[in-house]
Amino acid sequence: MNPASLLTHNTLVVAIAVGAVGMAAGMVGALAVLRRRALAGDAAAHGTLAGVALAFLATGRRDLPWLLLGGLATALATLAALVLIRRWTRTRDDAATALVLGVSFGAGVALVTGITARGLPDSAGLEQFLLGHTAAVTARDALLLTACAAAAIALLVLGLKEVTLVAFDDAFAAAAGWPVALIDLLLVGLVAVMVVVGLPAAGAVLVTALLVIPPVAARQWTDRVPALVALAGAIGAGAALVGVVVSGLVSGLSTGPVVVLACAAACGVSVVAAPERGWLARRRRARAVHAAWEEGRILTRLEAGRPDAVAGGDAAILRQMILAGLVEPGVGGFRLTAAGRARAVERTRRLAAWESILAVAPDDARAFLTIDLPDPATVIDAARRAEIGRAAGLGMTP
Amino acid sequence: MNGAGIDPLHAWNIATAMVVAAGCALVGSLLVVRRMSLLGDAISHAVLPGIVLAVMAGSRPGGLGVMVGAVAAAIVTAWLSAGLAAGAGVAEDAGTGVAFTTLFALGVVLVSAFAARIDLDAACVLYGELELAAFDTVSLAGWEVPRGFLTGTLVLAGVAAAALATWKEQVFAAFDPAAAQAAGVPVTILSVGLLAATAVTTVAGFGVAGAVLVVALLVVPAAAAELLVDRLHRVVALAAVIGMAAAAMGYVAAWQLDTSAAGMIAVVLGGCYLLAALFAPGDGLVARLVAVMLLRWRVVREDFLAALWRQAEGTVIAGPRGVLPTLAAVSLAAEGAVERTAGGWRLTAAGRGHAETIVRSHRLWEAWLGRNVELPLDHLHPPAEWVEHHIGRDVRARLAAEVGDRTGDPHGRVIPPESPAGREGPA
Repeated sequence: MNPASLLTHNTLVVAIAVGAVGMAAGMVGALAVLRRRALAGDAAAHGTLAGVALAFLATGRRDLPWLLLGGLATALATLAALVLIRRWTRTRDDAATALVLGVSFGAGVALVTGITARGLPDSAGLEQFLLGHTAAVTARDALLLTACAAAAIALLVLGLKEVTLVAFDDAFAAAAGWPVALIDLLLVGLVAVMVVVGLPAAGAVLVTALLVIPPVAARQWTDRVPALVALAGAIGAGAALVGVVVSGLVSGLSTGPVVVLACAAACGVSVVAAPERGWLARRRRARAVHAAWEEGRILTRLEAGRPDAVAGGDAAILRQMILAGLVEPGVGGFRLTAAGRARAVERTRRLAAWESILAVAPDDARAFLTIDLPDPATVIDAARRAEIGRAAGLGMTP
Repeated sequence: MNGAGIDPLHAWNIATAMVVAAGCALVGSLLVVRRMSLLGDAISHAVLPGIVLAVMAGSRPGGLGVMVGAVAAAIVTAWLSAGLAAGAGVAEDAGTGVAFTTLFALGVVLVSAFAARIDLDAACVLYGELELAAFDTVSLAGWEVPRGFLTGTLVLAGVAAAALATWKEQVFAAFDPAAAQAAGVPVTILSVGLLAATAVTTVAGFGVAGAVLVVALLVVPAAAAELLVDRLHRVVALAAVIGMAAAAMGYVAAWQLDTSAAGMIAVVLGGCYLLAALFAPGDGLVARLVAVMLLRWRVVREDFLAALWRQAEGTVIAGPRGVLPTLAAVSLAAEGAVERTAGGWRLTAAGRGHAETIVRSHRLWEAWLGRNVELPLDHLHPPAEWVEHHIGRDVRARLAAEVGDRTGDPHGRVIPPESPAGREGPA
């Protein structure tokens, strides 16, 4: 396929459809991940293959709506088997999930291989459901995918409040009279539908990634559920579009792996670079804590007249303090400059003040004391400080 | 595929599948009892890029370099899962989901991109190539032995030796990791070792089942064996037997039906699990159903006896009717506990003792409830109607000592005396 053919009407329609599916999968996945149903979706996804093959046997044609309907039926049967095993046997949850996943996928593989080996007309394309292949999707199929995605998004937006409540505190939701089992069923049903309509984009083996990775990426940027859902949808849509374009350009490349790697790239960037929760931000905060701690230690020791006391400390912090004019080389090591001494005296005063606050008003200390040791006068208002001072019996305000 | 007997090629393929299945079952049993099944699933997907990179670097499929690549990929998966859970604040299962799908996708892209240069394709990755195992042979002391069989045997020997050497620690860590850790068992090293063993058996299983279906070989035999036996060494042994039997049967079924051996092995394993879940002695669905039905049958018979006794006493007019009571009456008549009269049934001398025991249990319990629990009179009957079937001689004696035999039940009816024929029942 050359780049120009990407612009045909059919390709454009398919790209829109797959983008919509990616968006819906990301949004549904956000709540599935919060509700810890991520890997149940994986079992359902592996279960779709057998249904696709059975639908092909039943209809004798490779007609996407029927194949997806078959996939949905066996996906739901797989989930039902999972529920039955959990309820009726002593097999633990994790083993039950892996078992159902492996066996249902094995049945699918046996069916698909058997059909292909018999050379039934039109059967060659069934293997595309393993890893996803959007090039074969027609405009009519695309319309179906878009409609399913839109319906899933609409349903999710309508039920967002209820599903959120159940995801965070199902016991409270049950006590408050919400039909928890029904809401759970709705969520799992949506997961099954997304797994099925995601088949052309990602295939049975990898479609789980469309549900799991975008929410994990989005989680790094926000603490609020609506924003999480919207962002996961956007990431899913973007990754699905990347998958369509790249697999269209490179012959022999399935769509699914590309979609997953695009999701993973977004996730990697988020985990490293997101403000607040990202790895870089957490590292920066840890450095700041370390620097404040080390500076305080150096000031205290030097003020106590121990010029060698900085040995074994963090040389980089010491260098910064020399550059800032707080410390200078002295006899047998280092000593404080006038500015450094003033800083040390002020630090000692603040420490004493916070200690007295901590003793009589620990809540205030917890609320206002940070690692950079602010002056209490700048963070606690005067009336409250006077109150604390009286309580501490100091006869003064800290 | 000629029909005349078993071709040596098929025999080699079956032998290969069986040794690989045994190794997977051994490792899988430990994964299942340590609740690490899903990590096993994740690793069996995620070793793919490690294998592909090792093959691209010149290692032979199934060779040592591939093992090293696979173990490295497994450790990356576990590290990524745990790191995402701890650092990115997502649930452990979501972290695992991110890690293994990403690594598997990377592996598939590598396979697609370098298919011309390496001896792997997407079908092999997904289904394995058990059907071709016998064609790739190495010479061993004059014998042409399939490479997959050799790898599978070496891996089985290796993991079996490692499991035996650390058996005591494995059992301790499996059933109480916290206590094992506190007692100085290096649980983390055991876990990493288990991950490495999973990766190595996955490599051996790769040619048999493909990356996706290895999970069935790992988890299903152990899950089935766990339903049937209790001690860990028996679980492992039975899982290995189930795995090997399913491998052989699955291969033959696939050969007959002309389909994927890996898929059919997974299907047969699923069938084994279903059989175990249905027919496990004591704990299986059928055994539980039978136990419930036997209890219900006893209750119907005892209720029938008690009803006849009350009829004779005059406190109940009509006897019980319906299919079950009639069946109960016929079976009781066959034992000589009741006999037919013109209008219905009546107790024989032999049946009266048993009936009195039931009624005595019932009324003692009502009397005890009436005295010790603040229930209205009309709420005493339903609990007693159930408990009467479960009270033994000892409990009746204690109840009688507490409420006084002679006082009668709260409805003012006589409590029949303890009959010598009274059931022992649960103490």
